Amino acid sequence: MEERPRAVLLKFPGTNCDSETARALETVGFVTEMIPISALKQESIDGVSLVVLSGGFSYGDYVMAGRLAKLVTEQKIGETLRDFRDNGGYILGICNGFQILTQLGLLPEGSLVENTSGRYQCQWVSLENRAPESPFLSQLPESFEFPIAHAEGRLVTSEASIAEDYRANGAAALTYTEDVNGSFEQIAGLQDESGRVFGLMPHPERFLRRRDHYDPDWSGGEEGEEWGSGYYLFRSLYESVTSDEE
Amino acid sequence: MSTDNETILDSIAEAPADHYRILKISDLDGDKLHELSQFMKLSLSKEDMLAIQEIYNDWDREPTDVELEVIAQTWSEHCKHRIFGANIDHEVDGEKESVTSLFKTYIHDVSQRIFDSKPGFVLSAFHDNAGFIKLDEDQAICLKAETHNHPSAIEPYAGANTGLGGVIRDILGAGKGAKPIGSLDVFCFGAPDTSMDNIKADDVLHPLGIMRGVVRGVRDYGNRMGIPTISGAIQFDDAYIYNPLVYCGTAGVIPIKDIDKEVRAGMKVIAVGGRTGRDGLHGATFSSAALDTDSHEEDQQAVQIGNPIEEKKAADFVLAARDRGLIEFITDCGAGGFSSAAGEMLEECGGVINLDNITLKEGGMVSWEIFISESQERMVLAVKPESMVELQELADLYETEMIELGEADGSGILKVTHHGETVCQLDCSKLHDAPVREMTSRWEKKTKEVDPPVLMDAGETLKAILGDFAIVSREPIIREYDHEVQGNTVLKPLAGASGDAPQDATVLRIDGSDRLMAMGLSILPEWGKTDPYAMGTACVDECIRQLVAAGSDPDRIAILDNFCMGNPDAEEELGALVETVKGIAEAAEAYGAPFVSGKDSFYNYFETDDGPVSIPVTILVSGMGIIDDAEHVVGASLRRSDSLLAIIGTTGTKLGGSVLARQLEINNAEVPATDLEVALESYRKYHEAVKQGLILSAHDVSEGGLAVTLAEAAFSGKAGLEIDLCSLPMDDDASKAAMLFGESPSRLVVEVAPGNLEKLADLFEGLPFACLGRAAAEHSNLRIEWGKEILIDEPLDELKAIWKNGLAQYY
Repeated sequence: MEERPRAVLLKFPGTNCDSETARALETVGFVTEMIPISALKQESIDGVSLVVLSGGFSYGDYVMAGRLAKLVTEQKIGETLRDFRDNGGYILGICNGFQILTQLGLLPEGSLVENTSGRYQCQWVSLENRAPESPFLSQLPESFEFPIAHAEGRLVTSEASIAEDYRANGAAALTYTEDVNGSFEQIAGLQDESGRVFGLMPHPERFLRRRDHYDPDWSGGEEGEEWGSGYYLFRSLYESVTSDEE
Repeated sequence: MSTDNETILDSIAEAPADHYRILKISDLDGDKLHELSQFMKLSLSKEDMLAIQEIYNDWDREPTDVELEVIAQTWSEHCKHRIFGANIDHEVDGEKESVTSLFKTYIHDVSQRIFDSKPGFVLSAFHDNAGFIKLDEDQAICLKAETHNHPSAIEPYAGANTGLGGVIRDILGAGKGAKPIGSLDVFCFGAPDTSMDNIKADDVLHPLGIMRGVVRGVRDYGNRMGIPTISGAIQFDDAYIYNPLVYCGTAGVIPIKDIDKEVRAGMKVIAVGGRTGRDGLHGATFSSAALDTDSHEEDQQAVQIGNPIEEKKAADFVLAARDRGLIEFITDCGAGGFSSAAGEMLEECGGVINLDNITLKEGGMVSWEIFISESQERMVLAVKPESMVELQELADLYETEMIELGEADGSGILKVTHHGETVCQLDCSKLHDAPVREMTSRWEKKTKEVDPPVLMDAGETLKAILGDFAIVSREPIIREYDHEVQGNTVLKPLAGASGDAPQDATVLRIDGSDRLMAMGLSILPEWGKTDPYAMGTACVDECIRQLVAAGSDPDRIAILDNFCMGNPDAEEELGALVETVKGIAEAAEAYGAPFVSGKDSFYNYFETDDGPVSIPVTILVSGMGIIDDAEHVVGASLRRSDSLLAIIGTTGTKLGGSVLARQLEINNAEVPATDLEVALESYRKYHEAVKQGLILSAHDVSEGGLAVTLAEAAFSGKAGLEIDLCSLPMDDDASKAAMLFGESPSRLVVEVAPGNLEKLADLFEGLPFACLGRAAAEHSNLRIEWGKEILIDEPLDELKAIWKNGLAQYY
């Protein structure tokens, strides 16, 4: 009997993309479990292959995006989560989840601050896959589109040169093809050195099916193809997780 | 006798304890009673107060302050819709007629006839927080819209924020708890470029300030709740400078088995969510009166503060509890607070509410304040006693506060206790017997035949119209709303090759169903200024047309009516309302599209330095449609460069209500009527064409007329257009102005592959239909000809820039 890999989605008060993210994970083959943060224990991630922090506004994000969620997560399972990563576990943060991961120090140094537009921006963007070896991006083409929806997605580093280094050393796994929100080096997503921790501002779970694209005649993908680009991010992850386990 | 320092309230009050008072009203005359009502901000008329006095005389006792507040909430226009229930002597063009309840005659009875003719379609209407229609065998969908006008005028951000928060709670409180899946927002503001000199009263906020505040209020609530805001509209008109209108609506989905709910004796009444404070006192009664400059100073406490995360936690709790079968009854705490929620819940059964159990935001609150506070983010539930432990575990899991308010006891009496004393004891059946109002209204025809304008340069006219605030792109606002959260927004509010072209209806996929839900709306206040009846029919038509265009089955559409008006005691204003209601009723009945929910907002007028200013009677018709198959979803954007364009519907001569007429200052021109029979027949044929896969795209012809529709469709960036109006189906003498910019209803421009034109034309045999031209791969202009004469030949990128930047520069 083939056992399906398990994914846990952490839900903070204000997390609101957990259902559709779970749906995307289930579609590619994961078994998912949503755990409200109040019920989270160190043993909650025992035997799990993937921990996901999905989008939303954890605790309202009034202090700074992801700040309170970081404090709670660190206190509850901080050490466990680092051990989990060191022992081959995968961690994915989408939008608010990316913001939380940067605060937790699980990704290379950087902060996600207010967009240069000063606005919330809900739109589709073009992205460049700069890490085709990444377990999260291996099945995605060189360039593709995902929607974004955030007010604080501008990635900044303490020195501009650090962001430049991210481009050079591969940490900047995903970049926008044009300036969307003022991110240094147009960075849309970061990975850690292991490649198993990945955070991105765009929402792959909103482009699961081809039909999710705003243009019904979208020319990407194969003719008659059912899936959108987001599917392939989750599918990449599934392949990576299951090949590790073989 | 009252002295100078003693208030009317002090002079009649007796305080058995610090937290409540007994008010001796039995000896007061009508004027004194009315003075008391005004002092306590009860918004009850002299007649109402006399009726209350009589009830208490019968009971042979005096009311407590809590009881008077409860009755004021229950009888407020906001909660009881007394104008829609009034007896009205109406006169139209000299003909007298009497209306016994607008609601019963034109909304309820019309809808009931449609329910009867379509058994099994409408599953619940009028009595719950929102009406449900059947989606498939297992699930139902609902839609509810409300206004939050007065709060938004005074504090735009908080007013709009809580406006959306409130309607989301309506959905959570519909059935045993529906899941909110999409929202709409419709605003009416003064023009963004209004000069400060034209604002004739102190402390009135500039329309730009109101618009920015309102948009951010909607944004921050909807986005944080994770509910996509997918549909909307904005009207700009000087008439809304003092009284902006803010409509918020939300759709929901529920398992059919969870629609019916009932409170029975022995059940526990609990509340979850936020705590209770002094914010939001008298919201229901405040919104049942006119605004003036003092409102901006005095009524701040009527505007609540929103906390979307508190509501998100409560929503997670409610949906989880419903799925576990732990909810027997649920409703939201809206206008009137616990008094309305508990009153509604215990109306028949009766029960006891203990105010001591309510967790408060601040100390020192007296009984009536606790009971009627409209603090946000609270839901009230009736549950079985044995479910309490599991519910408390769920509340802990989702970090929301749960309190036990009391219990249902089967007595038929609403009893409220506080600090060991009974502060309110009312027979619930008496609570809902407000005196019926007697009113008078009249309407006289305002329109006349006018000569059509001669267009010197139709291209320039088109540019002026595309740059009009009525037409310009709403993109800067749409992008501030997360319209894709939940991952189900199939037809988005923006479309086209670059994702910035306009859409008509929007469409949501529904989890667990093969069917989809379309959401559409229409608001045409300019029409109603001179012909409210025609506004009514046209709004229903446009809403239904949008839904059908997107792929909905025309025979399974349900709609909502949301009215706003100025002073109902002004006969002509009330007359316009009556005519509007008759118009929507006529169209709803003809289309077989029942009303399943509605709301009204009165007293949208303002005492300016130059006298009172009222808004025009404004109706928002919104609706939900069912799309049977994802393959039937049709967008409004041109898709190909080798396709043909055809029009469905007749172009008439009348220009009243149009953007063109407003720009050219053509006043009182006749407003187009709607041929409901031909329209419905056409929509059915169109739907047949959709099912056969013949339609590539379809855009409704509405504000701005045909030329604007064509331009907007081509803003998708796929191709230019070559159009000839020679074959346009029209009334014989339609002018070029009417052909290009007239706004006759019931028209759709459809895109069809060349090989499918004949099939499509065959379907429309005997109906107004014609092929107008083609998409042009060889250029990117909008070219419209009339035989040999070129009427418009403009580069689409120039037109699009005008349209796209019109609002962006102000927002």
